[in-house]
Amino acid sequence: MKRKKIIKISLIVVLAILVVAGGTAFYLFNMPHRDVQQTKSDFSYTSKQIVDEYLEDPEAANQKYLDEEGESKILEVTGNVAEISKDFNGQTVVLLQSKGSPAGVSCTFPKDLEAATTFKVGQSITVKGVIRAGAGYNEDLEMYENVILDKCSIITSK
Amino acid sequence: MILMTVGILTTAFSPIGDKLVSSETHIKFFSTTPAEDIEANNFKSVSTFNQATGELVFSVPMQSFEFEKSMMQKHFNSDKFLDTKSNPKATLKATLNNPEKLDFNKAGVYSALVTGNLTINGVTKAINENVTFEVKGNEIILNSKLNITLADYKIAFEKGKPSTNIAKTVEVTVIAKYQKS
Repeated sequence: MKRKKIIKISLIVVLAILVVAGGTAFYLFNMPHRDVQQTKSDFSYTSKQIVDEYLEDPEAANQKYLDEEGESKILEVTGNVAEISKDFNGQTVVLLQSKGSPAGVSCTFPKDLEAATTFKVGQSITVKGVIRAGAGYNEDLEMYENVILDKCSIITSK
Repeated sequence: MILMTVGILTTAFSPIGDKLVSSETHIKFFSTTPAEDIEANNFKSVSTFNQATGELVFSVPMQSFEFEKSMMQKHFNSDKFLDTKSNPKATLKATLNNPEKLDFNKAGVYSALVTGNLTINGVTKAINENVTFEVKGNEIILNSKLNITLADYKIAFEKGKPSTNIAKTVEVTVIAKYQKS
């Protein structure tokens, strides 16, 4: 009788562990992407500040902003709209760049976040997004590359 | 809306002499195994193409690859795989073997062979690939498919789920749209 009880309890414990482990694995596998807009911003800059920081020391800036699993820092960037375009996926891309700066911040707006937004060249806006890469001179392209900000939404515009 | 359209037309592409610049690009990574198919897309690459010399360059921000599953994206970026924190950009630098045979002023589809180097994960390897150019009005659309053997670039999956679920050789599709003027 006692032995039966022990076996029964052991079975329940093993089963419970299996269910928890399986559930955790399933959860991890299907875990949704981080919601950039619902996550607190790590830094607030003007477009010139973040570009200058990258031009000065790209290594240090990558260490500071890029995450090794790709969940890099979330920035709020204020700047002047210098260019508006569409990418190959039909998403709106807004370049924030100050006059005289060799590079800017290229912000991609996913289709579901841009709905209520219209942009005008010359206006000043603040954008929130996740940084994907820094600015710098690329010798192969023979041109400056912009800071890349993705999953962007607009915070303020005037 | 009109202002926006003008903005798109005048500023998105800025040719410098014979050199065309495009930020309208698509890089797709596709892996297939009996266990599953994995796809990732990147729309943030910058490319230049020199019509006269046939020089072709792509700069690819690695963290801009988007996967359906967040766990796959984390694996892809981690130091066990692409180590995108240490190597945030991949570069393709190649030259057309026969630029003088292609007439980019005439509509049509042209095939070409490019030779050059591909740098991924900090490792540079020589490549030899077929590329097609479609000339259509004012646009030149480049299209290429590269098969990349991951071990060549020190992207090794020795054990665990990724080693069985990710193909040893993946297919990378490269598309860029250049505006002639």
